[in-house]
Amino acid sequence: MNTISDPFAGAPDAALLVAFANGDGDAARLLTARLLPRVLAQATRMLANAAEAEDVAQEAMIRLWKIAPDWQQGQAQVSTWLYRVVANLCTDRLRKRRGGVSLDQVAEPQDDAPSVAEKMQTNARMQALSDALAQLPERQAQAVALRHLEGLANPEIAQIMDISVRSVESLTARGKRALADIMAGRKAELGYEDD
Amino acid sequence: MKMTDPNNDMLDDLFAEVRSVAPEPSEDLIARVLADAVAPLPKPVVPPPSLFTRALDLIGGWPAAGGLVAATMTGLWVGVAPPAAVEDLTASLLGDQVSVGFFTDDFGFDIGTTVDG
Repeated sequence: MNTISDPFAGAPDAALLVAFANGDGDAARLLTARLLPRVLAQATRMLANAAEAEDVAQEAMIRLWKIAPDWQQGQAQVSTWLYRVVANLCTDRLRKRRGGVSLDQVAEPQDDAPSVAEKMQTNARMQALSDALAQLPERQAQAVALRHLEGLANPEIAQIMDISVRSVESLTARGKRALADIMAGRKAELGYEDD
Repeated sequence: MKMTDPNNDMLDDLFAEVRSVAPEPSEDLIARVLADAVAPLPKPVVPPPSLFTRALDLIGGWPAAGGLVAATMTGLWVGVAPPAAVEDLTASLLGDQVSVGFFTDDFGFDIGTTVDG
């Protein structure tokens, strides 16, 4: 990568997307470097499953490549659009879980893999949260995840979900209460002891 | 007024822990994503239309041209064999002798000769 005269240094995502649509291979590489980690992280936090998160991340990027020729600069941010796509793909996956996975199921470590106690616990907690999210109405799950797992502010969430800020507040409040109730019975199991 | 809610505290801790998870994309995933990044084919180049086609397009293409022809033919027809109503109107306007005061006598035109026939 030529760091001296990088024409894309500091260019907004939308500009890169337009360049990609016009056949620029460097734009694709740079967009991937910028966006794939964020997309993968969002999916991992919601799904707590590496394979599923990778599938969602790859699918989200495919949709981005497809929409590139039609991207209207100035109408929306690429990040906003991607948050929405990933959130929808994740709740699709969570919906499929609802019938099957019992809340007692905890991710089992592989027998032959060296396991660090802390890492195991984080994985188990993530899995438990993901399963609990799967129990919520989809819009609540999305709002809670965007607010508390992605750390986004309510106005941005409102844009992503195409609803009012007030609706975001209502969804996150209700979703968080519901999650707390679902998780309450698993405190000891997940290592949350009363001090 | 915040009541201590141990369930809420647990959830906040859990959120914070999950927020800190930021997996690095594997080389394999990056390769797959880049392989998917095939820019759509450019739109096919249509050969520029001929002068005739372009002139036709100016007036609205074949349908309009057809209408024009039809209107022209109708006009011709009306002139050659006008319907009775038109004939009467024309006769009432022009007749055999017409005196239409377009100009005052000061102009010196002989109206009779200009509108005759």
